[in-house]
Amino acid sequence: MLKVDPGFKATLSTVESAGELSYCYQCSSCVAECPAAQRFPEFNPREIVLASLLGVAEYLTAEGSVIWQCATCYNCYERCPQGTHPVEVITALKNIAFDSGNAPENVSSLREAVMEHGTVIAPSDTIRKRRDELGLPELPDAPAEDMKKIMGRGGG
Amino acid sequence: MSGDYTLFPGCMIPLRYPQIETAARKCLPAVGIGLEEYPGFTCCPEPWTVKGTGLEEWLAVAMRNLAVGENSGRDLLVLCNGCYSTLREASHILSVNPEAAKAAEKKLSGLKVSYKGKVEVRHVASVLAGIGPEKIAKSVKRPLEGLKVAVHHGCHLLRPSSVMEFDDPFEPSILEDLVAALGAEAVRYEGYTDCCGRALNDVNAGLAMAEEKVRAMEEAGADCLALVCPACFEQFDLGQVEMKRHLKKEHHLPAFHYCQLLALAQGEDPDALGLSRHKIKVKPLHRKLGL
Repeated sequence: MLKVDPGFKATLSTVESAGELSYCYQCSSCVAECPAAQRFPEFNPREIVLASLLGVAEYLTAEGSVIWQCATCYNCYERCPQGTHPVEVITALKNIAFDSGNAPENVSSLREAVMEHGTVIAPSDTIRKRRDELGLPELPDAPAEDMKKIMGRGGG
Repeated sequence: MSGDYTLFPGCMIPLRYPQIETAARKCLPAVGIGLEEYPGFTCCPEPWTVKGTGLEEWLAVAMRNLAVGENSGRDLLVLCNGCYSTLREASHILSVNPEAAKAAEKKLSGLKVSYKGKVEVRHVASVLAGIGPEKIAKSVKRPLEGLKVAVHHGCHLLRPSSVMEFDDPFEPSILEDLVAALGAEAVRYEGYTDCCGRALNDVNAGLAMAEEKVRAMEEAGADCLALVCPACFEQFDLGQVEMKRHLKKEHHLPAFHYCQLLALAQGEDPDALGLSRHKIKVKPLHRKLGL
């Protein structure tokens, strides 16, 4: 049976403007130019906003959710006449999925890399040598210890 | 517009595509832009996956980078749309959303940083646009005459336009003017502001988006493409190798960061610029590049 969670909307992060979704009047301007919607029929920003608004969004934060196909192109942000910013609703949904342990492995591992190296790519001797050949200064030190202090307390 | 900036290095350029950094360091001083080092930066952090794991910590890490940049006493210059997106948006949020700012500050409480909101984040494309095509053209020693260039802006340079403040979000032309300043011809193609597809978690679906763009560029007669982001660069350079493997579609359209084209036009040697590292070979263009 479909589970309705009337309080769901309030659990979306308000760091961006995901909280503005109540203004959505379902016009589909966001769908018209969405490149992900063109490739994944189940990726429909209008429906994603509606499901979040009504509190029937559990399927969107589950493992394997289609929300991870968002191109983050911000076409929907620009085209929305109501300032709903579907891309920001989707990011807030991604946060909930991650906190529930449902983010794709490659996504979680990028976050781990930032904590471990301070950068998403680990420094290597190969790249140090190539930088030297290209006449570049030594790799700057990215203080991973600071990342552990900020991110090491169990996510968002 | 000219003057000294602190280089915010990011991850992909210094750690995977250092040849883009070489090009930037060679071409920018010739148009009056000084790049200074400053220690202590980390990943911006990356604005679609790392941001997707936690907006609060994304903002806190970005705030720390902004604070480090502020300490340098100069504005920040980035060579990457991802860094531009994160740092620019974070700076905007910190100025308009006091609750989010307070939460980010709390996450930084164990570190010795303070952010006062006094640093501006500039994309190299925007700084070059401010200098203007005329002055850039004056630095050109080997015009790229006859070279047809398809410009790929990359989403995060353009949108959201109210925060990125670079150009029109759907009909941009500034980067094309910068390409024309090098003596080359910027060619318009269908879907020229479309996304490269890099952020889709389904890699093949993302590649199909890039493939569509490359096809449109070729149909418009482009010899190569110019962009201003290492993530877009990877999607088009390594991406064309992957298109062949996974989509059975073959293309050979060399991709350049704008700084690489500028450096070439200023007379830099392609070997010194590390262009042989590109997966899609640049050599077939040498004649057109006047080499």
